[in-house]
Amino acid sequence: MRNIWLIIRREYLERVRTKSFLISTLILPLFMLAVTVLPAKLAGMKAEGTRHIVLVTSNPQLGEAVKHQLTKGKEGERAYRIEIDSDVSENEREALRNRVSDGSLDGFLWLSDDAIAKRKVTYAARETSDFIEDAGLGSALTVAVMKERLAERGIAAADAENLVKDVNVETVKIRKGKESSSGGVQQFFISFMMAFLLYFTLLVYGMAVMRSVLEEKTSRVMEVVLSSATSRQLMAGKVLGVGAVGLTQIAIWIVIGALLAAPGLVASPEMRGWLQLPPLTIAAFCLFFGLGYLLYSGMYAALGAMVNSEQEAQQWQFFVTLPIVVPIVMLTFVIRQPNSTVSTWMSMVPFFAPILMYLRIVVQTPPLWQILLSLAILVATIYGVLVVCSRIYRVGILMYGKRPTLPEIVKWLRYA
Amino acid sequence: MTHTLKLQDISKSYDHFVAVDHLSFNIRQGSVYGLLGPNGAGKTSSLRMMIGITLPDSGEVRIFGEPFRRELLKLIGYLPEERGLYRKMKLLDQLVFLAELKGVSAKDAARRAASWCERLQLNDWIHKKVEELSKGMQQKVQFIAAILHEPEFLILDEPFAGLDPANAVVLKDILLEQKKAGKTILFSTHRMDQVERLCDSICLINHGRAVLEGELKQIKGKYGKNNVQLEYEGNGNFLEQSPLVERFNNYGNYVEVRLKPGADPQELLQLAASRTRVSKFELVEPSLEEIFIDVVGAGNA
Repeated sequence: MRNIWLIIRREYLERVRTKSFLISTLILPLFMLAVTVLPAKLAGMKAEGTRHIVLVTSNPQLGEAVKHQLTKGKEGERAYRIEIDSDVSENEREALRNRVSDGSLDGFLWLSDDAIAKRKVTYAARETSDFIEDAGLGSALTVAVMKERLAERGIAAADAENLVKDVNVETVKIRKGKESSSGGVQQFFISFMMAFLLYFTLLVYGMAVMRSVLEEKTSRVMEVVLSSATSRQLMAGKVLGVGAVGLTQIAIWIVIGALLAAPGLVASPEMRGWLQLPPLTIAAFCLFFGLGYLLYSGMYAALGAMVNSEQEAQQWQFFVTLPIVVPIVMLTFVIRQPNSTVSTWMSMVPFFAPILMYLRIVVQTPPLWQILLSLAILVATIYGVLVVCSRIYRVGILMYGKRPTLPEIVKWLRYA
Repeated sequence: MTHTLKLQDISKSYDHFVAVDHLSFNIRQGSVYGLLGPNGAGKTSSLRMMIGITLPDSGEVRIFGEPFRRELLKLIGYLPEERGLYRKMKLLDQLVFLAELKGVSAKDAARRAASWCERLQLNDWIHKKVEELSKGMQQKVQFIAAILHEPEFLILDEPFAGLDPANAVVLKDILLEQKKAGKTILFSTHRMDQVERLCDSICLINHGRAVLEGELKQIKGKYGKNNVQLEYEGNGNFLEQSPLVERFNNYGNYVEVRLKPGADPQELLQLAASRTRVSKFELVEPSLEEIFIDVVGAGNA
């Protein structure tokens, strides 16, 4: 026990004292905000430049209605310069195509009667990657066509305008029977950010364990330490020591967050909404970080023991990193459908559970039995993984030179 | 007679490769013992079993008269062949950490580390990171780490490798001091000259097996004084063709000649004097290196 404690203390102090610890403590939350909030803000920015397009339709009234919808110039939407063309022949289409090609036109909307009847029109343009623009065109057309149809049925234009007005949805989240204002988008981004933070800390500290093992192995200090401590003590001390550094960093974030969120310190109440996380969210974060870290750091430690250099490690760490990345790919899906069958079962898979079950708890607390089942599977897996990995570690740290093959590693598991 | 270390018929194989093959030897308390052998002979594998990094497949390791127990490691100091220190750690912190693992209190460890650093002229570096130290200094730090907990039994794998002559002398003096204080020292090396100067007994291993074991004096005596060290000016080619000579080893400044059994050294002297100007002619015991090449060479043939 004394040895484990000494090794924990060394790992911890040597890490916390470094400048890189201080820097990462400050940078990581900023980075997190950047990757979650910034893309959303950027996507919402008003598109630059005016698009010059042609509406091709034999129905001038419809053409005017669409033009009206597109040039209303709502904020955040693209500006258009629009020509109306009543020639719906194939020759005209050919001519328009050429104009788009030579750059005198950005695109055209083909609104033949046939297309309108099928409710499927074509927008041909040079730049087609702006999916928000597609949606804007779609809704402009829908409204225009609808107004047109209402007019045909003898409804006054003013009434028609009113009838097709959008309904806006305001989301509120219910917590313990109370409505909370932090709904919708904010909830999405907070969940997203917390899951991302969990992903990052797991990855960063898992890899720190791997590097630390590798450093001891390549610098051969391993043999000196092993003449006093067992490989098991060394691995346990290393995993716990690095993990304690991770928890320290998280604790610093919590304290900073709480300080910033305290009334009177940070002026904007909007910011406070972002910073004031429910205690459950924070407690669950620590729990799932701890468990996820134990699972992955064991695997990273074994990996570090198997290889002989940083380069070799990079080739192989993909296999350990992959199961951490899978939940990130699923983030949006799980946030939107936290109780779907896929979300439920994916959050039971122990390698995904740390991030996905945590996410589900943050978004909408699942039934208790699901949480407990997921935790039970996770803990059992951690035990198994640590048993296997500590064996690989024990043999691997003394093996130099050739990287072991899979059958060799299987053999290591049976060594006394 | 007490034995600090007793290896009884230990074997270790990795997969199908036999690293150590039924090896036995005893190290007397207070003696300096040399474990010799070519690269890959099984020296490091044997040392690892003595300090419990690996366990023998069969046989027994007894330390201080008891079966191996991990607690006994606190009385053993180990200097591995491949030096290893935490590169980013400060010298003093490093020494204290390694001594604490051996059960020394932090306070004692710091005090002793300071006095050793003074003796080995590392004072100015005590708060520097190891990576800032020169290779020779790191060697000295590593040696201090092996000895800081005042072990009864010192296991040193190639202790002189990489040391300049001045530091090698300092180290040799420390080792002799330790011996005087009753500590037992095990050397593993393939540098014969050092063994010859320091060791009481040796074990020569090859392919994991002991090929020669015993007290250095007895071993050398057994090979007898039929070697001649010869210094001369002129062309020494005749030595190679002479029917008196069994083997001929040119060291540059002098040659060492092994005589054929029954050959008379006087005849060789006359022959040499007739062809060259002889400045030195001495009958000597074979050097350990010769014995080494003899035994290992024969084993390989």
